[in-house]
Amino acid sequence: MPKYLFLQRSVPGQSQRSSPAQMQEMYAAFNAWKEKFKDRILDMGGPLKPGGKVVTASGATDGPFVEAKEIVGGYMLVSAESFEHALEVARESPPVTMPGSSVEVREIRETEGP
Amino acid sequence: MTGGVESGAPPGAITGPGLVEHFFRREYGRLVAVLARKVGVRHLDLVEDAVQGAFLGALTAWTARGLPEDPGAWLYRVAYNNLTGDLRRAAGRLRILERTVDAVAGSGDDPAPSYSAREVADDMLRMLFVCCDDAIPRESQLVLALKTLCGFSAAEIALRLFTSEANVYKRLARARDRLREAPPDVETPPLNTLTSRLSSVHAVLYLLFNEGYLSAHAEQAIRRELCDEAIRLATLLAEHPAGAVPETFALLALMHLHAARLEARRDGMGGLLLLEEQDRSLWDRQRIRLGVEWLERAASGELFSRFHAEAGVAAEHCFAPSFDETRWSEISDLYAMLERIDPSPLHTMNRAVAVAEWKGPEAGLAVLQALAPPVWLAGSYLWDAVLSDLHRRAGNLGIAQRHRERALASAPADAVRDLLRRRLATRPR
Repeated sequence: MPKYLFLQRSVPGQSQRSSPAQMQEMYAAFNAWKEKFKDRILDMGGPLKPGGKVVTASGATDGPFVEAKEIVGGYMLVSAESFEHALEVARESPPVTMPGSSVEVREIRETEGP
Repeated sequence: MTGGVESGAPPGAITGPGLVEHFFRREYGRLVAVLARKVGVRHLDLVEDAVQGAFLGALTAWTARGLPEDPGAWLYRVAYNNLTGDLRRAAGRLRILERTVDAVAGSGDDPAPSYSAREVADDMLRMLFVCCDDAIPRESQLVLALKTLCGFSAAEIALRLFTSEANVYKRLARARDRLREAPPDVETPPLNTLTSRLSSVHAVLYLLFNEGYLSAHAEQAIRRELCDEAIRLATLLAEHPAGAVPETFALLALMHLHAARLEARRDGMGGLLLLEEQDRSLWDRQRIRLGVEWLERAASGELFSRFHAEAGVAAEHCFAPSFDETRWSEISDLYAMLERIDPSPLHTMNRAVAVAEWKGPEAGLAVLQALAPPVWLAGSYLWDAVLSDLHRRAGNLGIAQRHRERALASAPADAVRDLLRRRLATRPR
């Protein structure tokens, strides 16, 4: 079953985030975001397929963009039968139910695939 | 995180000489930015003279009569009066500036309006963008920003940039010549028309930070100051709509993440410490937290900039539990990305160092083999130091020794020389 990466974004300044675990989480979010550029920049075959969708409380929007003022709050890996199924899962995830928050969904390339 | 833009610190806060200096420098940048907006950057010389005059007046008046209730407002009032007086005199001589004088003097009898932090931030940023006019050479941009926004004197700038006072004056003159050419009607361009200069602003802030961070200056406090000023201005930029883009966030993240390790880079005797010698418990956790928060905010959009790559490297070091547990493969990848984004043999050299830690010295040397270093790099102590280190670890002791001697001979400071001696001596691995 294909795997999907969920990048969670929340509005800054809403929580006091200073524990080492939370710092690790923020750092992991950056690293997850970074991965999609490794592919593009280094042409070494990164784990993310280009394109994706952002799911917000008001529904899915095209393209992997969210406003610059939003921040990545964490990420998780989700297995789903299809991209559409992954979007359904994202819509039901807790971050999306909060106004202003969103989840970006990216399909992860199979390592042994083409 | 809006420190530095509020007006007038509470009077009781001004006690030690260091604090006075700090207060004056902050006020200097604020006053110059506000007044330059009112009369136009063409008159920057007069503005700076007026602010300088207000500070001199304050030294006398405050020593004799004690601190005024609101020192910031006091300084503004005196600087403002100085400036309108100067402009009138200049207008009398030149007969072309009446309009400017009227515009300023006509704004009422109470020349000490209370500006909101937001308005001051606007003015400071406008001044920063003005300093980064593409027609001004980069070196002059930096000096102008240090002078007008950070309140350093020419002598203080010369000390911090390892150059002569005469050179600083030359660079300032070049910048001011350009500003004087500005047509009167576009003296104070609105901030949103200046955002095309954002990449120049990034470059100047990056340069300012590096002058502090990489400098081999003996005095830690002096280096620290430059880093703090860069962080202050970058924070202003990141929190303002004119500059709040992921690239700015990444730049600020890399500043915090590097600054977190600044104190730990020195031993108790004024010497520099290698990364592997540093006591990681001394790294500033609060700074790392700020750095990673900005890094997270930078992780957005479709542009992975050089600042993202550099902040990523800094973060890898901050999050590594020890030198040996550093994720050198990640760092190598980040340097490779940096090379693609902003090709420079310096980045290739850094990648070689990371690859050598990851895959061994031979792999590091292989990276360098494909590189023909330009003169400025081949002649620097860093190039010889890296080659010496890699060759020694690969067992090529003769070549290592030759590079070691050249590195030691061209090291810019004793602290650096001592550090090289330790690193390039036989090291058990």
